[in-house]
Amino acid sequence: MSRSSYLKPDTIALHSGYLPESDHGSRAVPIYQTTSYVFESVSAGSSLFNVEQGGHIYSRITNPTVAVLEQRLAALEGGTGAICTASGMSAIFITFITLCSSGDHIISATQIYGSTATLLRHTMKRLGIDCSFVPINDEAALRDAIRPNTKLVFCESIGNPGLEVADIPQISQITGEAGIPLLVDATFATPSLCCAIDHGANIVIHSITKWIGGHGLAMGGVVVDGGNFDWQASGRFAELTEPYAPFHGIRFWEEFGPSALVMKIRAESMRDIGAALSPHSAFLILQGVETLGMRMKKHVENAKQLVEWLQSQKEVTWVNYPDLESNPSHAIAQKLFPEGAGSILCFGVVGGRAGGVAFIDSVELASNLANVGDSRTLVLHPGTTTHSRLSPEDMLAAGISEDMIRVSAGIEDIVDIKADFELGLRAAKRVAVSQ
Amino acid sequence: MELQVRDNNTYAATGGKEFDKRLSTVLFIHGSGLDHRSWALQTRWFAYHGYSVLAPDLPGHSLSDGTPLKSIEEMGLWLADFLTAAGVQAAHVVGHSQGFLCALELARQVPEKVRTLTGVGTAGAIPVNSALIEAALESAGKAAEMLLQWGFGRKSHYGMSAIPGMQPIAIGRQIMSNNPLAVDLQACAAYHTGEEVASKLEIPSNLVLAGEDRLTPVKAGKRLAEKLKGGYTVIEGYGHMLPIEAPKQCLHQLRELVSSFD
Repeated sequence: MSRSSYLKPDTIALHSGYLPESDHGSRAVPIYQTTSYVFESVSAGSSLFNVEQGGHIYSRITNPTVAVLEQRLAALEGGTGAICTASGMSAIFITFITLCSSGDHIISATQIYGSTATLLRHTMKRLGIDCSFVPINDEAALRDAIRPNTKLVFCESIGNPGLEVADIPQISQITGEAGIPLLVDATFATPSLCCAIDHGANIVIHSITKWIGGHGLAMGGVVVDGGNFDWQASGRFAELTEPYAPFHGIRFWEEFGPSALVMKIRAESMRDIGAALSPHSAFLILQGVETLGMRMKKHVENAKQLVEWLQSQKEVTWVNYPDLESNPSHAIAQKLFPEGAGSILCFGVVGGRAGGVAFIDSVELASNLANVGDSRTLVLHPGTTTHSRLSPEDMLAAGISEDMIRVSAGIEDIVDIKADFELGLRAAKRVAVSQ
Repeated sequence: MELQVRDNNTYAATGGKEFDKRLSTVLFIHGSGLDHRSWALQTRWFAYHGYSVLAPDLPGHSLSDGTPLKSIEEMGLWLADFLTAAGVQAAHVVGHSQGFLCALELARQVPEKVRTLTGVGTAGAIPVNSALIEAALESAGKAAEMLLQWGFGRKSHYGMSAIPGMQPIAIGRQIMSNNPLAVDLQACAAYHTGEEVASKLEIPSNLVLAGEDRLTPVKAGKRLAEKLKGGYTVIEGYGHMLPIEAPKQCLHQLRELVSSFD
């Protein structure tokens, strides 16, 4: 049972948000491939536009197939509601832009995904929204960074690719005292391994392109409203508590309370920015959601076996995985991720950067690409790809070294993954010997 | 809007339009541990179709200050004071669950304030299991979980929310967890005279009952309708949280009765 459903997670993943529809009894969730919806009458259309009734108007705002996915993800995370978007980055952007205006301030963890760091450092700054980066588990640093105009604290539950696990209970204690919402990108965790809302997060974001979709088929993102933040008591969010002119002066907090944020995002950001998830993509991602629990077990099992095996290889110079005692956030990982802290691991090989390049160029089963959370094993050199736009100092703060190889452990047979990695390690060794 | 009732700041939703006491007023009363948001998908329609709407949070609930009232009789009297504070002489009164018990008490004690009565998912008495009250005394959140599991029908546990992307059980849980649920449940448990009160009223009335209601079963609702000498409708396939679970059907029934008297 999550905080928002009485069904168990594996049942939610298969059933929540959809009962076989009345006309044809389709057991699978149908793809409502339509842009718009016929109004029963002028009055009915007007009622929908005026939020007098629930329903669908235009697929940029809502769509029945997307709505099933949204409700299912809200139920899995224990939230009051969710909004799916065209990508994980659009989920992050619409949340920032819904809560922040020019002159506002965000606090972010230093160890985050490169594109999110770029968004905060450059794009948000151009819009007049400043960001302070702090080591997120440093209690004093976080407290010191809070300003009167701070609107949110952002972190990843497992940092990409430094694999620092955020101490969500400690962070949420601090943000709660300050009246600031905690926004957690839980992409690496998925609700199968850790429900951030249960630990004090107020908003959860995922790139559902990753493990939730799970098959590398479709892009998507989601914002889940925890419904556990008092926007009125905070005193920082006129966006949600004061009249909103484009909607006849609606006050989102008064009208919708625990679902105020998600309603505001839908009414404003989906309307204005239009980063809607397509119904076909929603359908593909739903197929992934249905098996999320069992896939994550296999992902984690393979990651743990791979970590153990890599540690015993003489060509491997270091391995990082949150379940290892050498990871600085190991104790937090044990607390928040009892089933295992995801399926991303990083390691270095002999030969440094050149050795790493040789490894990646030599593996055959694993794919060298800029994605994680596929059912197939993926490898990447973050320093030259996803995080290449960071300065050397920022790269170091993000936990990235020149020789780092990031692995997203897939669900193939572990014997084949190890055999493939042996090819890479031999190539790295050849480079090291020639140096 | 906010107004002073018995020296306490009281919040009432007005359906997104400024309250105008010159218009025919519809008063919406929420159920145990809930607030005005139970009626989000009914109040806006009335407000934008020629009515004035008031959906207060009872004292000590959500956006209203004050001490929670301990009996249904007190709540009925408080509603009379609330209407007076708003400048309303008489209103169409709609109540969900415990809210309708309050409506009955308002009608008994100050009948001139009530034009029509509509009960949604309700009965003449709402017995409350002592284990549930004990749970609520310990933790409103814990009791909310028990209550909502029974409160919502099958379609809400599995099916699509009336508002796309929402998970109504979680919304209810958040609201109930922060409200004086135990006080409300104790008030419900102690109130046994609903049918007797109903039998003496001479006010047009209607009940909207839920076919899968496990908290106020249809049988009990029908008995109350008989005492009220009014009509009733059963909406099949939904549970006790009818205004949230089946908002369209619920609104349709409310419109029928209210509009027939204006």
